[in-house]
Amino acid sequence: METYFLKNDDLLKFYERIEQEYDLYVPVKAESALKYEYEGKAKLPAADYFLKKFSQVNKEEIVFNEYRTVEPTRAFLTHYKEDIGNYKERPQALCGIKNCDIFSLKVQDFVFLEGKEVDPLYKARRDNTLLISGDCPHFKEVCFCRAFDINPYPAEGFDFNLSPLNNGYLLDVASQKAKMIALSLKGILMPATLGQLSGRAAKRESVNRRMDEHLAQHKIPKKEVLQEIVLSGYNSGVWQDEMRTCVECNGCVFMCDTCHCFLLSEDSPSGNARRLRLWDGCLLKNFTKVAGGANPLRLRYMRLRNRYLKKFDFFIANLGYQACCGCGRCIEVCPGKIDIRRILRKLYEEKYIPAN
Amino acid sequence: MKKNIYQPIKAVIEEVIEETHAIKTFRLRPEAEFNFATGQFIELTVPGVGEAPFTPSSDPGVKERLELTIMNVGEVTSKLHTLQKGDVVGIRGPYGQGYPLDKFKGRDILIVGGGVGLAPLRSLLFSLFSGIDNYNKVVLRYGSRTSGDIVYKTLLPEWGKKDKVDVLVSVDVGDSSWPGNVGLVTTVLDNTGVDYSSAAAIVCGPPIMMKFVTLKLLDLGFQPPDIYLSMEKSMSCGLGKCGHCRIGKFYACKDGPVFTYEQLKDIHDIWD
Repeated sequence: METYFLKNDDLLKFYERIEQEYDLYVPVKAESALKYEYEGKAKLPAADYFLKKFSQVNKEEIVFNEYRTVEPTRAFLTHYKEDIGNYKERPQALCGIKNCDIFSLKVQDFVFLEGKEVDPLYKARRDNTLLISGDCPHFKEVCFCRAFDINPYPAEGFDFNLSPLNNGYLLDVASQKAKMIALSLKGILMPATLGQLSGRAAKRESVNRRMDEHLAQHKIPKKEVLQEIVLSGYNSGVWQDEMRTCVECNGCVFMCDTCHCFLLSEDSPSGNARRLRLWDGCLLKNFTKVAGGANPLRLRYMRLRNRYLKKFDFFIANLGYQACCGCGRCIEVCPGKIDIRRILRKLYEEKYIPAN
Repeated sequence: MKKNIYQPIKAVIEEVIEETHAIKTFRLRPEAEFNFATGQFIELTVPGVGEAPFTPSSDPGVKERLELTIMNVGEVTSKLHTLQKGDVVGIRGPYGQGYPLDKFKGRDILIVGGGVGLAPLRSLLFSLFSGIDNYNKVVLRYGSRTSGDIVYKTLLPEWGKKDKVDVLVSVDVGDSSWPGNVGLVTTVLDNTGVDYSSAAAIVCGPPIMMKFVTLKLLDLGFQPPDIYLSMEKSMSCGLGKCGHCRIGKFYACKDGPVFTYEQLKDIHDIWD
């Protein structure tokens, strides 16, 4: 992998070059309703970021997002509702992707690209997507990637990666696609110096340390025990307790970057019915309902438990790691303040810390 | 436009056979040859309404036609029940793991069906009959709620007359018109002439029936790896992608729908 230095002033040129070949999405700051009130000591940033089409934003709106965007990255690879029989894919470039999102894409890839059949729409989009990731110099209160040994900066899985440094960025050029683009940008890319690389390493160390301090108070179980505690906690009262405030909005699922469930449907009552794929979610009441009325997940606590079993038992058994990247989007979106960190901690404590 | 793995092919309804007041068998002619192994399932589309999973009830050896025996219970099936000869539906598949016929060779086979759960078992029986020399004996115990709910009324007595085949039908609730056995299907599993220590048992029916039949079979001496269960969940894609049919570490659509009890016995709430 080659690393270059790109000056702040030249970032726009980099974007413009990408825009020649791709529909480029760039991060912009946005006021959002997703304010998570935090009662602890740490002063943490509360701004939010969305991705917007480069061609449709005022260039001064474009920022470097200091942590992941509001929307899950998977929304760019499977759309909430789409015609799967008839699609045309234009290449897209996603800027502002973080390492939690890259981790989640591995889960999405497993679902849609592995197994007996490859999902052709997902594959077309995935192959046509250029990922321009970035380090996280900060994190949100709800971020907990490091609890599962995922760093707030990526080492792989991207085409380009941007690390903010002094008055510019270190630009990692990873893929063949990225190399071709970098070749045409020689005038604005300077090979990174050892000093710049160690400067980046120090910044990364610093965010790791700050995040670890922040996470210490949440006492989130290590990834190695996740499968064990969700299985041993099957009959725990935690599910019932935590579900009391659930309003069944399914926000946790729709904001989740590793969730993937969908429903095939048709949209017209007669004639040329289009085949649609819609995002579905296991917190919705009828997710497992069968004709005749039987529903294995008929109660809310069963649906909450099912979600954790899927993420921390099914995926660990079938893929080797959990379907949770620690992005905290589910925590932030929940009107009932249901917190995955708290649930995992309670399950862990029930198993390992005997009540007195 | 690229290949769409979720796109059904057309199938014309050639005949509709009324089995009971709520159950019909649809004979379909797919627009292309359609191969399936017994116990595998398909997704059936009723145009404009939606899709639902069914296991064919016909002989897998017949490639140009396909039969599905379907109870009118939901949105898709109630519309389907209004369709007639000549109407067109969509089918895609087959999906999943069917019955492992190889593992049944040389053994006694006890088949226990409940209600419309006899549909997939009929396909299995056709497969067994066409290679009957491979098996020691085939014993069918079929339970139905009332005599009016019995499917394949004319076929059942015919099967019973076959060499190496034994059939007994029992109804939960008897009436004056029913000359046969009355009692839950679990009450007719004791003296079947099957060698319980070496036989394979295949069970398909409503979850509550499968639960109590499995418990009874364990009681009779069956080992968990020898009990085969058809776990049909809400399945949308059929390919292990849509996430609806998870059972523990498995997806019913991809790892099943036929599972051994050994695979499932440590998973919570499998009968729900």
